[in-house]
Amino acid sequence: MKISLNWLRDFVTWDWTPEELAHRLTMAGLNVESVTPYVREFPGVVVARVTDCRRHPDADKLSLCTVDDGAGEPLQVVCGAANVQAGQDVLLARVGAVLPGDLRIRKSKIRGVESHGMICSAAELQLAQQSEGILVLEGAPAPGTAADELIGCRDTVLDIEVTPNRPDWLSHFGVAREVAAISGHLLDGPALWSPPKTGGDRPDFPVEIADFADCPRYTAHVARGVKIGPSPRWLQDRLLAVGARPINNVVDVTNYVMLELGQPLHAFDLKKLSGNRLSVRRGKPGTRLLTLDGVDRELTADDLLIADAAGPVALAGVIGGADSQVDVNTVEILLESAYFDPGAVRRGARRHQLSTEASYRFERGADWDAVEDAAHRALHLLQELAAARIDPTVVDRQNPDRREPAPLTIRVAQANRLLGTELSMSEMLAYLQSIGLKSQPVGRSGGRQGGDGKFMVTVPSFRRDLHEEVDLIEEIARMHGFDNIADGAAFRGGAGVRRRPQDELAETARGYLAAVGYSEIVTSSFMERADLDRLGLTAADPRREMLAVRNPHSGSETLLRTTLVPSLLRIARHNVNADRELPFRLFQLNKAFLPGGRRPAEVRHEDERRLPQETWTLQAAVVGRGDRVLGDADAGLLEIKGLVEALSAQLRLPLTLVPQDVESYLQPGCQWEIRDERGAAAGSAGLVARKVLRDMDLDAPVALCEVELGNLDLAPAAPRFTPFVRFPAAKRDLSLLVPDGVGYDRVQEVVREAAGPLLQSCVLFDVYRGSGLGEGRAAFGIRLKFQSAKGSLQGKAVDAAVDAVTAALARTLNVELRG
Amino acid sequence: MQETLERLRAEGRALIGDADSEQAIEQVRVALFGRKGSLTALLRGLRELPDAERPAAGAALNELKQELEAALELKTEGLRSAGDTAAGAGADLSLPGTPPAPAGSLHPLPAIVREVCDIFHGMGFSVADGPDVELDWYNFTALNFPDDHPARDSQDTFYIDDKLLLRTQTSPVQVRYMEQHRPPLAIVAPGRVYRNEAADASHAAEFFQIEGLCVDKDVTLADLKTTVREFLRLLYGADCTIRFRPHFFPFTEPSVEVDMRCFACGGQGCGVCGRTGWIEIMGAGMVHPNVFAAAGYERDAYTGFAFGLGIDRIAMLRYGIDDIRLLYENDLRFLHQFRGVR
Repeated sequence: MKISLNWLRDFVTWDWTPEELAHRLTMAGLNVESVTPYVREFPGVVVARVTDCRRHPDADKLSLCTVDDGAGEPLQVVCGAANVQAGQDVLLARVGAVLPGDLRIRKSKIRGVESHGMICSAAELQLAQQSEGILVLEGAPAPGTAADELIGCRDTVLDIEVTPNRPDWLSHFGVAREVAAISGHLLDGPALWSPPKTGGDRPDFPVEIADFADCPRYTAHVARGVKIGPSPRWLQDRLLAVGARPINNVVDVTNYVMLELGQPLHAFDLKKLSGNRLSVRRGKPGTRLLTLDGVDRELTADDLLIADAAGPVALAGVIGGADSQVDVNTVEILLESAYFDPGAVRRGARRHQLSTEASYRFERGADWDAVEDAAHRALHLLQELAAARIDPTVVDRQNPDRREPAPLTIRVAQANRLLGTELSMSEMLAYLQSIGLKSQPVGRSGGRQGGDGKFMVTVPSFRRDLHEEVDLIEEIARMHGFDNIADGAAFRGGAGVRRRPQDELAETARGYLAAVGYSEIVTSSFMERADLDRLGLTAADPRREMLAVRNPHSGSETLLRTTLVPSLLRIARHNVNADRELPFRLFQLNKAFLPGGRRPAEVRHEDERRLPQETWTLQAAVVGRGDRVLGDADAGLLEIKGLVEALSAQLRLPLTLVPQDVESYLQPGCQWEIRDERGAAAGSAGLVARKVLRDMDLDAPVALCEVELGNLDLAPAAPRFTPFVRFPAAKRDLSLLVPDGVGYDRVQEVVREAAGPLLQSCVLFDVYRGSGLGEGRAAFGIRLKFQSAKGSLQGKAVDAAVDAVTAALARTLNVELRG
Repeated sequence: MQETLERLRAEGRALIGDADSEQAIEQVRVALFGRKGSLTALLRGLRELPDAERPAAGAALNELKQELEAALELKTEGLRSAGDTAAGAGADLSLPGTPPAPAGSLHPLPAIVREVCDIFHGMGFSVADGPDVELDWYNFTALNFPDDHPARDSQDTFYIDDKLLLRTQTSPVQVRYMEQHRPPLAIVAPGRVYRNEAADASHAAEFFQIEGLCVDKDVTLADLKTTVREFLRLLYGADCTIRFRPHFFPFTEPSVEVDMRCFACGGQGCGVCGRTGWIEIMGAGMVHPNVFAAAGYERDAYTGFAFGLGIDRIAMLRYGIDDIRLLYENDLRFLHQFRGVR
């Protein structure tokens, strides 16, 4: 809401600079977002009289004028306007003047004749969009008078953020009320039309209100003999300063009064209304209304309308109809000032996707008493500015069942309890009085706290945001000043607390992953439907069931993701395409949403059963590792396996990797299911299938793992110390010739079984495939470590164990020693 | 004997003085003290001396031996340190360090979530959370947003249907937590929130907030101020200046907006603070009695404060990030700048 300080000064004064005023308003809750000057000046432009005017000797359309600009010497000026005549008072831009649009006036020669300035048109001064001929002044002051005195303007405009609870601040008068409260100055009201004593109810123009719930009050006044024309400069300036566009005096007056008092008004051309009656009712399906913005709108039973005998003439509280609008030929107007139900206006405005200054205010709640004041204010201005004659009789239909809200009770102790203050009742009363609330103590009188320590507050019609005690406490705090409330003795928190296991785990996982080269990403909760097919999810996959947003701003389908995989592949693609060095590593700890997931057993709201299961998934990937290790194994695949094993250790989550094809988007035969302690599925790991990479347009191999943490027992068991062997270990390296098809897991198993209790570890350190081994075989290099708790091992004992191992390998797996 | 000793002393000294490498020193050691060394020969010869001369000669010989051994040791150390100096002189300390395996990085948003939670943790707040997909009831109704009220306009909402939506704020956790717990309670609840609007440099459809809630018998607005001030002191440092100004949120009353003096211009007004000299950093207020009622508490039994702050904004201010979309693009050139951030 833009507030003109010139306008504000009609009602209240203050002793501060605009910046200080802005600060004080901000600290009272009207956040001033900017303080901007609104200045229109015309340096070098003065009133001048045309003393002589004749045709230019060499040009038919040009006039040669002699003007008196008050400086003494008559000036010769060439003028191209058809309407210039001797005897006129005009505005002369002297040589050196700068007109709006940075037009600099110079001495010039026009068709051989010198011209010492320019006689201005309204358009050249940007007083009008367009104009014909020069601006001729009526009743102008003496030549030489600065144009600024006639048409200049110096104002300051505050841009105020108005919260939705304060519709009263959507007006200059409402803000003036606040200024009066904080400055201590008196508040003046605007000049109003006073209805004559002979007036009273108007019987010849019935207004029927179908439902008082939609429209509890409707007033209509008739103004006749209206002369449509431009508004005076001062009024136009105020509208322009606060960002409104002047149109004509009648429309401008309705806008002006809305910006002044906050009450939207509408002026109908009375002659364009049929039947001399109006009704306020809901729309009939199938009917239409052409509104002022040129849109032909289809109406429904949800729309609240103003209708005449022939049909709808306005969308109540939102916008008027084009067919009854005021135009240059209008002479009689019907001025509507009404109170429409906020919800009814809001629904109508939303249905037609139309937010107007009027609907914005009605939605937030109009001021009951201002309905009449605003009409009277507008009628006063129409008399002054459009020569209107006001009919003495008026329409004022009101809901007969309407009740004023009961006064509110406020407890002094409760206010101090909530604020942490020690304010007295009289201080509180003074604060509330300053913002126009009438209050009085209740109960026994006497004592510092005024008897019961309670008082009653009558809420005026412009503050219907005040519903209960706490609303009044806020007003007291606001007027007292939040910065004047002493801070408490110490910060307020809870008792001693420990971190939750899941938070501890997240921190450990994030810290570990970052330390070993993985970069954390934060990805969108949304996915594309096509991703399901890109991942090749089967028709039965529960992740195919997704929640969709009903009203996405983008217009395209917006779906909540059921898997994190596409988001990770997209970020990988972005970085591959951005030419990041390969390989790189990513991880994320994010949610996916499964509508078919488990349901809460007990709910307070039945709809809660429809909430999706929200997973909490840790996902990591290595992107672009194409190298081979341990013979011919994919390095990325083994890295991701190693990562899961390391995470299992670091997070103290007993996870196991079981070779099994579980995900359609991972390469068959190159994936594991990750299982938890109980053997339940907890995730997957493997190489992303080539087809998926192609469909995701990703040009680098990806190995990824994901663990659904939400189902795991995340409180780690504390480690139990076991005594370790202090005697030295004996190591033996073996080179084994292993037939293809025998996996390392089988080799390890046989080794462990055969070696006996002295074996501490068996590690694979090399795999070699190639010439010299014979067909169908690979060479595994393994290192065995033996140790005994009883003492240093004798060579013989170790030899015996190794012999047992080699014999068992040969017997069960057909594995031979190499060389 | 005396002469022999003096000769040997001179010879030994000369040999030691001439030795210019650890190898040469070793040869000298052998020449003097080895099995066939000259000193060893003399020691052996002691046996043949008369009993009366033997003690004196023995003592003199031992003295010489110790003297030469010490000289030899001194020379060795000198040679070693000279060797270190010589070897060091050739090192190019300007060569690049050989890094360990390159580290990854933590994303600034969860990193700041952790930091804020840690600060509140130290102040006695536990961490709680709630679902991203919420009921309209928890997101709006229970938080005292009337149906069909313009207060809902400030938060363009992704609706899934009439009852389900993507939460527009972390505040629904307030009600969910109070339904499950009785005061005294103090929690913070971080999480992702959603707004149905087009993204630009300062708006994202998804971003992060942290909610705070503290409820007890007599929690006051003064307590709120102290707690917020303490938190901001811990987050931004002792010299941050803040102010509390009235605002409106349906679920708190009184409601305040907390502004911090612009760190970029010191309050003069600049592009960072929109020329106001102040930066809005959090909203807060006293829990509205209607919210207590929605959570199943008696309206008057307790008082409490709540607050909420945007994580993205903290990250952008702290790291000088001028476009919120950078936080969600996940370009490694962006992410790796936050290496070492915890």
